[in-house]
Amino acid sequence: MAWDKPLPNIDLDNQPFWEGLRRHELLVFRCKRCGASYWPVAYCRGCPAEPFYGNMEWQPASGRGAVFAFNIHRFAFHPSFKEDLPYVYALVTLDEGPNFGTNIIGCDPEDVRVGMRVEVVYEDMQPDEGDPFTLAKFRPI
Amino acid sequence: MAHAFSRKYAIVGLGVLAGRFPERSPRTLEVEAARLAIEDAGLRRQDIDGAINTRIESGSGESHGWTDSFARILGLPTKFYFTVQRGGAMTHLAIVAAAQLLDLGIAKYVVIGYGANDWSSTRDRSEGRGQRHVERAGLWGRPHGDLAAASHHSFFASRHMHEFGTTSEQLGMVAVSHRQWALLNPDAQMHSRPITLEDYMNSPMLVEPYRMLDCCLVSDSGAAFVMTTAERARDLPKPPVHVLGVGFGEAMQQLWWDKQNYTHLAVDTAKEAAFGQADLGLQDVDVAELYDCFTMEVILQLEGYGWCGVGEGGPFVAAGAIAPGGKLPVNTGGGLLSCQYMADWTPFTEAVIQLRGDGGERQVPGAKVGLVSGHGGEILRPGMCSIHSTLLLGTEV
Repeated sequence: MAWDKPLPNIDLDNQPFWEGLRRHELLVFRCKRCGASYWPVAYCRGCPAEPFYGNMEWQPASGRGAVFAFNIHRFAFHPSFKEDLPYVYALVTLDEGPNFGTNIIGCDPEDVRVGMRVEVVYEDMQPDEGDPFTLAKFRPI
Repeated sequence: MAHAFSRKYAIVGLGVLAGRFPERSPRTLEVEAARLAIEDAGLRRQDIDGAINTRIESGSGESHGWTDSFARILGLPTKFYFTVQRGGAMTHLAIVAAAQLLDLGIAKYVVIGYGANDWSSTRDRSEGRGQRHVERAGLWGRPHGDLAAASHHSFFASRHMHEFGTTSEQLGMVAVSHRQWALLNPDAQMHSRPITLEDYMNSPMLVEPYRMLDCCLVSDSGAAFVMTTAERARDLPKPPVHVLGVGFGEAMQQLWWDKQNYTHLAVDTAKEAAFGQADLGLQDVDVAELYDCFTMEVILQLEGYGWCGVGEGGPFVAAGAIAPGGKLPVNTGGGLLSCQYMADWTPFTEAVIQLRGDGGERQVPGAKVGLVSGHGGEILRPGMCSIHSTLLLGTEV
């Protein structure tokens, strides 16, 4: 898919996450000691901290969750989103725990509800300039 | 017993320029506001020995790259100049810094300033017009279309409506109440534009559940104040407005990990600190100048401070409680929604105006204690609007 929208912010901290999306894996940052999951990177709140996230690793999530909060965009704050109106931007609580900001697709925006179960959908993008990337969006289960 | 900090410092001069100044740079607006504040304090420029610049944004926006200072342009003989940068709580953080510098004897009179060209910058925007809080780079939600404050801030409304059944009509009454105050304020951008609840319901839906009238205004602005000790304030011409207490709260952990439902701002620790220092209670507050970037933030604060019960903010507002003539005067100049957008400078400057008795038609009779809140400071998109701050100001020592 071509891409004329704002590009994702890929930096040293979240690069493994974006590489995971290229493989169609939704990664969370998980504690090897207690299994608690975070997104994006964080020291585990329940365990002793080891240098540079020593006890943490990026691991695939189930890709399922529930809508925590959402809005329906009826105005495009960037012209490239006009074609998508109306679109839903939501916070999805992943089954592993963290909240994740994403779009809800594959249904009428009017049908989105708080608590609705959703699953990840991968969209591969190719910008005119630069490297391809993948977005993780969600659709109703 | 009040803390030793309480009532020891005072706001003695105020300068405000707000509205539309397309021919002025934000720096020039800050300089001019500082000049007005110094004059208002009855001081000369050469009396000012400390200067603090405040900015909303970190890492984006025009002001990020400023290398010049209003202090140089005004020719102030300051011993220090630095920037306090934290969206929505700038004045409160700057007051804490200024108090320490006054206490140490490093400065006698500190001028604190702010400048923005938010309105002008939206006139010429290749990426499309709209709110100034259109992120330029770097933050999480951009490729997903989360580009404006109205988007992620709307999660507060989404959750509150889901949990407590708060309605669009109740949000509309927040907007209408603010507009009613603005009609009494000749300096408000919306001074001559009354709205009804029907107008609110008919205003364009931008980011459902938010309509255009749920969103704050966009303004060019310059603002500044002079702060000194209460002792020195006695020798100056304007009635001093004393700093009674200040406090801060952070919800970044709660919002992101604990997912504390987004119906709750970090009011608790901020409120406790400010009221504790001041040795006052909520019943002592005569005017509440609350950070109202969007309508729901007002409801969350009414609940957070305890002016009404949790979940009861909608009906409280719908009953007219915060409108002129209501039981709690809130955002008496019209606020960010209907007066002008200067982040926390809008509620701060209005509190000073009220406590000086300069409110004209909108003056709350006998106002002695004013509460100013700060809110904002997004850390990580989406929806981490995490800081809250409380400032209590008062007329008497």
